[in-house]
Amino acid sequence: MRLQLPDGTIRDIGREVKTVAALLTGCNINPLEVIVTKNGRLIPEDATVSGNDEVRVFLVAHGG
Amino acid sequence: MPAGKKECIPTCDNCGDPAIFFDPGLQRHLCERHLCLGLEHRVTRALTRHNMVSDGDRIAVGLSGGKDSSVLLSVLSLVIPEHWDAEIIAVTVDEGIAGYREETIQSAVSLTQQLGIPHHIVSFQSLFGTTLDSLLIAHPLRACTACGILRKKALSDAAREIAATSIATGHNLDDAAQSVLMNYFRGDFERLLRDSSSREERGFIRRIKPLHEVNEKEITLYSMIKGITGLLPECPYATTAFRAEVRTLQAAIEYHYPGASRRIITGQESLNEQAKKTIRPGTVSYCASCGDPCSGPVCQACGLLAGLNKRD
Repeated sequence: MRLQLPDGTIRDIGREVKTVAALLTGCNINPLEVIVTKNGRLIPEDATVSGNDEVRVFLVAHGG
Repeated sequence: MPAGKKECIPTCDNCGDPAIFFDPGLQRHLCERHLCLGLEHRVTRALTRHNMVSDGDRIAVGLSGGKDSSVLLSVLSLVIPEHWDAEIIAVTVDEGIAGYREETIQSAVSLTQQLGIPHHIVSFQSLFGTTLDSLLIAHPLRACTACGILRKKALSDAAREIAATSIATGHNLDDAAQSVLMNYFRGDFERLLRDSSSREERGFIRRIKPLHEVNEKEITLYSMIKGITGLLPECPYATTAFRAEVRTLQAAIEYHYPGASRRIITGQESLNEQAKKTIRPGTVSYCASCGDPCSGPVCQACGLLAGLNKRD
């Protein structure tokens, strides 16, 4: 799996099935402060990712 | 995830479509369609329950061009005509923040054109003779405090100029919970019990917050789904604010204790109701400099500007 963080950093995170919440908290990211897409589709934090999924994390911009 | 991990694709509690959002406080999953419908419903409910709108109103919607105010304007333009005979006018305040404001103002202009809503733009430069950037270079002020005071004044002046009966702002549930916590941390009892929504009869233009039951993540998702704003920059001064620290704390509390933010606000509302029974509202006077209603001899904005002129 390929994980793209809000700062543009890309990490290879293996193929094992894991929840989005576990993935994020493992990166010290609070799931409430970000939006996540899997292969371009929005997913909630209790969804799982695995295999060759492309996971992208967007920061919830504050203010405005 | 327990051992023997399986793929999990949560579905919407309303229709069974793939979920895009999980609300841990309410323990429910929502798809794109039901997240949007739910948000619009909660805004309508807030407007109705708190009597925020009446027929004949002229509502000035504070539109910075960021996601909260853009979603607010979009939702109001949808739900107000369905329920009330009221007018909406967008008001943008250009504080003069280089590298940030140009893009968000352009976004605000595009949105109002797309929605066909009249748009009134005022600037710190034209109202106060300086931009926020210049002000902060010349004076050691807290950026968000100074900006907040002057922006509030600019928005009130603009609302008065267009004869608005109320000012709607994009403050959301997270903002409200953070404000309560900040006032506790500061020990600011007066601000904790201040209720601007009920002050219209005392010379202030009523302020309404129709997004106060919606959290920031839902607003961001609504904006993405509806294509309301793209990825916009964050205010360069925001990271230095006390609010930024409280926001991180509040998000952590909400994550570990789902629903805590709603409970903080509900508790605050109960406290306000109790306080109204025992505390008399303060006397309203009028600013000796600009004539605006205020609680002292001069309003906060005129006090700030006068202090700066003395230092110059």
